[in-house]
Amino acid sequence: MSPYAPYWEACRRGELVIQTCTACAHRIHLPAADCPRCGSTALTWASVLGHGTVHTFTVVHRSFVASHRGREPYTLAWVDLPEGVRVFGSVVGCAPEDVRIGLPVTLTFEDDLPVWRPA
Amino acid sequence: MRQELGGRAAVAGVGMTALSRGSGRSELELAVEACRGALADAGVGTADAVLSYHMNDSVGAVQVARALRIEPVGWHNDISGGGTQCASILGDAAMLIASGVARTVLIYRAMNGRSGKRMNVASIGPQEAFTVPYGMAGPIPLFALAAQRYLYDTGLTEEHLHAVVAQSRDNAAGNPRALRREPLSLEDYLAAPFVSTPLRNVDCCQETDGACALVVTGVSRAPDAPRIHTVVRGGGSGCSTMDVADDVTRIFSGYVAPRLWDESGMSPGQVDVPVLYDAYSWLVPRQLADFGLAEPGDIGDYLLKRAHARVNPHGGLLSEGYVHGLNNVAQAVRELRRAGGVALVTGFGGSYGSAALIERS
Ligand SMILES: [Zn+2]
Repeated sequence: MSPYAPYWEACRRGELVIQTCTACAHRIHLPAADCPRCGSTALTWASVLGHGTVHTFTVVHRSFVASHRGREPYTLAWVDLPEGVRVFGSVVGCAPEDVRIGLPVTLTFEDDLPVWRPA
Repeated sequence: MRQELGGRAAVAGVGMTALSRGSGRSELELAVEACRGALADAGVGTADAVLSYHMNDSVGAVQVARALRIEPVGWHNDISGGGTQCASILGDAAMLIASGVARTVLIYRAMNGRSGKRMNVASIGPQEAFTVPYGMAGPIPLFALAAQRYLYDTGLTEEHLHAVVAQSRDNAAGNPRALRREPLSLEDYLAAPFVSTPLRNVDCCQETDGACALVVTGVSRAPDAPRIHTVVRGGGSGCSTMDVADDVTRIFSGYVAPRLWDESGMSPGQVDVPVLYDAYSWLVPRQLADFGLAEPGDIGDYLLKRAHARVNPHGGLLSEGYVHGLNNVAQAVRELRRAGGVALVTGFGGSYGSAALIERS
């Protein structure tokens, strides 16, 4: 089974889950079949608290994804979580020009996708 | 440790088609024209080995060899990849020469990068399962995310990016091959549309139709030609692995630059002609700092003073055009033929890539 399946199943429940290695306690995201640090395949899933900080972002003014053409401008970001992982998503609920590096954000869901809004 | 291939192979010929936004020709026709040009320029008649690199957007080495009547062909390979390959393919050729596997190697890159298969939707790897649903695909938003953080970390601004692009246009002004030659004022730069912030369309290279070819042979066959001194290729965590990278702005040069100086025995001060892979404006200051060509702390003033005017004297990928970096290597050869010295050429593919030093005394 793809290591991605439990991730997307959780999204449909409105949860953002990441993996933890039971051998070395390393937190893992993007989803993996084995631990990038120690190689163990004994990984568990758990929900994150849902708080984060924008590590970097871009405002897309010209999309290269057909389904998103006409929806520009929209904001994409990597978000640092206190759990020790970095996740990808969009930033919603504010004007693109209000997004900055270091912005505290809170998890929400749109169309079964985890997205982030200013905290 | 010094490389043993150093100085045993030379770039004896360069060939290039016209660069355009609509060639109206097949990749095979473009490749053959550039290859014939390079062989004629080298005065070697033919080659026994053929190398190319592409991303399933071009014509294979076998077809090009047949069209050039290189039959039977010797060592031939289609290397998978784009910009990362443009410097290291000199190493692939030099290894074939130094080991005696081939006598003369023909290298080409041919693409209809504007009218045919475009790079702006090229795959960026398995993390796409997590990015495409949000509306992110292709290299531009990926390297825009890195650029945003790079500006934040360094304090550089859009004025500095303008200095990179404007200098590229100024350098291209005297280059008849260049697709963009007009001056770019700060006002015009700021008025240019964003593709993906902080990158405006003018911060990104010119998608191009065209082909470029090089002929690499043993130094005994081309004693006056620029010699391939040292080639490095590598990479690691950085802007290609933003999920786990400590520094999402790190590019290939952070990995290959120390090895280049170590394995060549040269130092940054010996470089006369820096020909840097400038698919995006911010890659120029990042590489200048990584390769030790400018002090990281002074890079802003360095750019505003246009101390980088000697970088990419033909206008680079930003202004001349984008034959996946091989046109930059061709320019390094032209510069060394004209004035001698040492040229640095680089190949970027995020946090993986390559660099080469070429020398003519
Ligand atoms: Zn582990």
